[in-house]
Amino acid sequence: MRLPFLFCALAALAVAVAPTSSQAGDRFYYLGYGIIQVIDGDTDAIVADIPIKGATREADLSADRKFLYVSTNRHLVHKIDLATNRIVSTIDLFGDGWDRFMFGFALAGDGKTAYGALMSRRAEKGEAVVGKPVVAQFDLDTGKILRSVEMPWGVAHLVRVLEGRTIYAIGQDLYKIDTTGPDLKVTETVPMFDKGMNLLPFWDYSFDNGGVASMNYYTPKFMGLLLVDQRTGAIDDIELKGEPAMAYSVVLAPDRKKAYAVMDDLVVIDLEKKTYGASALVAEGTSYGVNVSSDGRKVYVGAGGSTVTIYDAQTLKPIKVLQMASDGMDLRRVRF
Amino acid sequence: MKKKLIAALNRKAEAIERLAEGEGRTAETLGQLRMPQGCTTIFDTGWETNPRPTYPVGNCQASARDFHGCAGDCWWPAQMPDGLTNHPEFDVQCPNIARDWRNLKYD
Repeated sequence: MRLPFLFCALAALAVAVAPTSSQAGDRFYYLGYGIIQVIDGDTDAIVADIPIKGATREADLSADRKFLYVSTNRHLVHKIDLATNRIVSTIDLFGDGWDRFMFGFALAGDGKTAYGALMSRRAEKGEAVVGKPVVAQFDLDTGKILRSVEMPWGVAHLVRVLEGRTIYAIGQDLYKIDTTGPDLKVTETVPMFDKGMNLLPFWDYSFDNGGVASMNYYTPKFMGLLLVDQRTGAIDDIELKGEPAMAYSVVLAPDRKKAYAVMDDLVVIDLEKKTYGASALVAEGTSYGVNVSSDGRKVYVGAGGSTVTIYDAQTLKPIKVLQMASDGMDLRRVRF
Repeated sequence: MKKKLIAALNRKAEAIERLAEGEGRTAETLGQLRMPQGCTTIFDTGWETNPRPTYPVGNCQASARDFHGCAGDCWWPAQMPDGLTNHPEFDVQCPNIARDWRNLKYD
């Protein structure tokens, strides 16, 4: 008599814990404050809330696409199981008497460690001691710093290339860090400062773009797009013709013939002609994040404020506006 | 020695002059400036002043949607509590600025 009940209970449990990722499609992760919200790319509905401690900043996806690592408050790193939409572990980079703040995060190739561009400070006999800026490799289970290399001031973003054998640290210039030896070594500096390139590299959409980090920059004369191929490490510097479009972030369309830029406007960039296409004012206000569905038909704009607007990619007409639980930092896409 | 264009009128001004004695023009001082961590790689361009005459006007206004991005990182510190040192729980108190701004209790 109890068997049917047990069967039903087990079936219900199986449905409840079944990996949402088993359904093929896009999931968009809205990185908010104290919360990450999951948007289903087919229905454009919020399908899960993931409570998280802190203000979200950076994210990286594990190679098996099962875990999303998200940093918050510049010193916590949370591991999120994308099948259950739950945080499974959290590490704190504060430790050994040091407050460490991370501006730039990238998973290492081994899946067990990550790199962070760290600023540090501690109090010593009542005096503030500021540590040298470093890029450090740390253990994702414990947060323990394993090794580090001193960097120039101002590194604010990291990109993993060549399966983690090299890390690109982006500050006033782009610094290439060789990770293959016993010590981390800066092996090359690609000049940006002397070329007048002004970059705000918080958003690069490397895993959303299928392994290409896209970062826009400005010179006094034009807007450019820096594309870093994670597989080869190649850097493509695209100078765009025409009046610069003001944008926080740029994501590539799946065909890589177009890109979408966002700040106050959603702007189409023609990557073949290296110029601008159509644009639309973002009625919901200034937005940090932009993403695109994997079929290229919809563009998602949000974060900054507490909304996500979904646009028709062809017409740039808004299809839907989602009210989110908090303001946000970014909007990331994972294709399952 | 060049004639001074201005002269100290009181003790405080004289003390400041003494402090500056022997000091030359230090162009390198500018070169030593460290940009605020988390801002643009060269300078803050001021894009955010947004000269657009129509909605949304002035991204930097108190009602701006990107208010939160200022916390602890950079940009408009006068509008924001310091999220990295003094008010690390800012995001708990005010996760949605449009909805929760009344919760802000900072001086």
